[in-house]
Amino acid sequence: MAKDFRTRLQEDYVILDGAMGTMLQAAGMKMGEIPEVLSITRPELLVSIHEQYLQAGADVVYANTFGANRYKLEGSGYTVTELVKAAICNAKQACENVNPDGLVALDIGSIGQLLAPTGVLSFDEAYDIFKEIIVAGSEADVIVFETMTDLLEVKAAVLAAKENSDLPVVCTMTFEMNQRTFTGCSIPSMALTLSGLGVDALGVNCSLGPKELEPVIAELSKWTRLPIVVKPNAGLPDPKTNTYNVTAPEFAALMKELRQYDIKCFGGCCGTTPEFIKELSDMLHAEGNAGFHKEKEIPSAVCSATNTVTITEPRIIGERINPTGKKLFKEALLNKDMDYILNQALEQIHAGADILDVNVGLPGVDERAMMVDTIQALQAIVDVPLQIDSTIPEVLEAALRVYNGKPIVNSCNGEEESLNNVLPLVKKYGAAVVGLALDKDGIPPKAEDRVEIAKKIMNRAMALGIPKEDIYIDCLTLTASAEQEGVMETLKAVYTVKHELGLKTVLGVSNISFGLPNRRLVNHIFLTMALTNGLDLPIINPNIEEMTGAVRAYKLLANIDKNSVDFIKAYANMPKVAKIAPAAPVAEAVIPTAPEQGETNSNPLYQAVINGMKNEGAELTKQMLETTDSMEIVNEILIPALDQIGADFEKGTIFLPQLIMSAGVAQAAFEEIRKAMVLNNTKQESKGKIVIATVKGDVHDIGKNIVKVLLQNYGYDVIDLGKDVEYQAVVDAIIENDAKLVGLSALMTTTLVSMKETIELIHEKQLDCKIMVGGAVLTPEYAKEIHADFYAKDAKESVDIAKRVLG
Amino acid sequence: MNTELTLSTINKEEVARYLGYGQNIPDERVQELFEECEKQVLDCARARYTYKVFDFEIDDKARLVRILGTNLELTGNSICRHLRGCEKVVLMAVTISEGIDKLIRIARIRDMAEAVVIDSMSSAAVEQACDRAEQVIRSEYPDYYQTFRFGIGYGDLPIHLQADFLNVLNASKTIGLGVSKSCMLIPTKSVTAVIGLSKTPITGQAKGCQTCNMQGRCQFRKSGGHC
Repeated sequence: MAKDFRTRLQEDYVILDGAMGTMLQAAGMKMGEIPEVLSITRPELLVSIHEQYLQAGADVVYANTFGANRYKLEGSGYTVTELVKAAICNAKQACENVNPDGLVALDIGSIGQLLAPTGVLSFDEAYDIFKEIIVAGSEADVIVFETMTDLLEVKAAVLAAKENSDLPVVCTMTFEMNQRTFTGCSIPSMALTLSGLGVDALGVNCSLGPKELEPVIAELSKWTRLPIVVKPNAGLPDPKTNTYNVTAPEFAALMKELRQYDIKCFGGCCGTTPEFIKELSDMLHAEGNAGFHKEKEIPSAVCSATNTVTITEPRIIGERINPTGKKLFKEALLNKDMDYILNQALEQIHAGADILDVNVGLPGVDERAMMVDTIQALQAIVDVPLQIDSTIPEVLEAALRVYNGKPIVNSCNGEEESLNNVLPLVKKYGAAVVGLALDKDGIPPKAEDRVEIAKKIMNRAMALGIPKEDIYIDCLTLTASAEQEGVMETLKAVYTVKHELGLKTVLGVSNISFGLPNRRLVNHIFLTMALTNGLDLPIINPNIEEMTGAVRAYKLLANIDKNSVDFIKAYANMPKVAKIAPAAPVAEAVIPTAPEQGETNSNPLYQAVINGMKNEGAELTKQMLETTDSMEIVNEILIPALDQIGADFEKGTIFLPQLIMSAGVAQAAFEEIRKAMVLNNTKQESKGKIVIATVKGDVHDIGKNIVKVLLQNYGYDVIDLGKDVEYQAVVDAIIENDAKLVGLSALMTTTLVSMKETIELIHEKQLDCKIMVGGAVLTPEYAKEIHADFYAKDAKESVDIAKRVLG
Repeated sequence: MNTELTLSTINKEEVARYLGYGQNIPDERVQELFEECEKQVLDCARARYTYKVFDFEIDDKARLVRILGTNLELTGNSICRHLRGCEKVVLMAVTISEGIDKLIRIARIRDMAEAVVIDSMSSAAVEQACDRAEQVIRSEYPDYYQTFRFGIGYGDLPIHLQADFLNVLNASKTIGLGVSKSCMLIPTKSVTAVIGLSKTPITGQAKGCQTCNMQGRCQFRKSGGHC
């Protein structure tokens, strides 16, 4: 038999081994001990376990390397390389003794540390940890990642394998009854992402028995053409005895039923023993496998780790994360104001976007770094898949590495340089790609010529192995006011690409009306025409009701939205309009004016802040700005209101939620003022810069975030470094911004050390910057001991400190 | 063993306490916010627990508790005192999962007040999940009295034991609970605890401010309350 796993995958089936951990425990290993150490201290035990599995019929044995990573081995007295090499050596020895054709898998489990954003491990660190194991395990026949729950961690693992080894790669993840992993990763997301990354086989292991796993495997087989691997537990554990409830013959019988789902590799996980593998092996030898459906159709789809969007019907791509023509967005990019960008994301999703385009290219901005930061910040809070929008291959690659799921790359075009630079990235990272129907000669005026370019892009992409369903063509919208005859050509091209080439189509819509009055009208009519011609992915501003509404109505009328379910859900609560009223001038609203001396308290905006009425606060500010100077609003109303709230909080007559609600109103009011100033090109006055951070190792940032809002309310520029911040990063930010005050927060006794270290580094660099500290476990005494200048017992007090230091 | 729990309501008095209300009652607007946030937290929380029961021995000289059949040693006077007179020890871990961390991140962008309330709601929810897990243990071991749950990091039981503790429970595999290098549980809304089991009624282990690691800096205590 071939000593090559890829060749074995061509055969009818492959038998994998059963559990290692439970076998080691049966042999006397204590709970909590590091099992990998036994590869050196008790090699004969490991060889014997592998031998038993090979005798039972296993074609592949997993070496005892599951937890052999540098994090888990810390304090074990052994290095990763020592234990990995010893483990593989034991497995090879067993093969030599029992079955020279047996293959050895380098078995790699989860690192045991959650990646950011929930945890603190970075993508690059995870990659490094996996790389070390893979390099040490080069003698194995196949690399297996198993019991994985975090898709991003798996991605780091697979990239580490692909970039540092030529061995075949197998990935199995662990799903619960709800068909998700602990971190929420769904089956289609796993299948789409890992198939795209080019693993050799994928599947599931652990958590459940073969019976409970059936729906998981049935779903999985719908989403991949790759060979499927299944390693179930021996049923479910009994709560009291910790033994499993499925016997070896039952296990084999259940696995027999699972064969219908294109499974290629069969094995066992927790609770299975050589007896289970023997029964399994006998069953497969007697019954054979059930055959494969390699040509099955996989729906065109993109995904985040938790949410899959199929492109089997029109889907909205939100276009708002893009600085082109947007003053406020440009300002946010230059200030690295991530919250602004995240707000844009949430707003678009709320309005109905299925996918978000992300473009952060702007002169003066490090696009590569900004793109990575933005992708990471977005995927920490949104579920929708992202479309990475850049013309620079380095930016695309950096974003593709850290993206958690299967994204769209926007874009390549028919030029040689673009095809050569972009398509290989799309292939390597398993993305979908937008191809623009233009080349070095620009956009061809005629539809036929654009279709020709589309064909060229399609052929080149498919030659690289990019599946047809992942190629989307943008036939390009021309401006109707300038090239009126081009409009129908674009639509014709959309129709042909969709119906003759069989590719998905994408189109930026808003350009159509440039230079015309009533752009909304033109835009949504053009959108409707494009949808009728076969547009799958309109790139639009979903916040404009007519645009999102056009897509919803189209889906209803085209019989895609069956029984109008989505349409009714979107509009059921819409106020009924009895009859369409003629357009009439809007009645004059009563605009609040700046208060006279002594009547501040009765001002509606003042009251809105005091009572925590956010929407009213923003609206009132907008109205007041028409007649009142912004500084007057700030100094006469907002600040006095905040002072009042702060004083009430100190007295104990109001409490934290009310304080923050009021701060939120003030924040919304300031946002309106800021908008007005940016749009009028007025320079904003700052009371001074303050750097704030939750210290290294600490991920509790709620307190720091409250402080941030209050400080911003009082007009300070807050540079928020986030949580788990390196000591040096704090120092760098102080220097870069010439900040005179820094606020550090820590919630745990264990992270107070980081606070102390950060302060020491600030002092060591002799920075002219005062330090204030806060957090649940801090005391004024300890603050003094670690040489902080101020201790803030709550967020209100941090404002008092800022006033003292910065005025 | 491990399984999932369903929470149907969150104790809002407890939430108010976390938010610094002391004996005061939140006004109507805040109560509305509570209702809204409770819905979000209950929708999002996936409460899971795992526990194992062990024999143990107290080594008075070394001032530690050895958990038999494992390599875990719980050190310090307070844990020795806590388990004295008990026959068995339960190691327990509970989490309401990663989705909650994400929910708080989203709320922060949308509305800070919501984020703060959701944060406190989630803290209350994980404590309630612990109560429920304790009930399960009680029903599995009806012949035993239980001590209160003694958290890792409470008293002089070092928080550095967190990783070893989770390892014995295999918690990352069974309930998706891990720990960072700085001993922080991740997902953050999680609890690890030690419970003693005794066939005779338990005395002398009252949970109190004396053994609490927040002693001297507890805002709640300063406002006259105690937990």
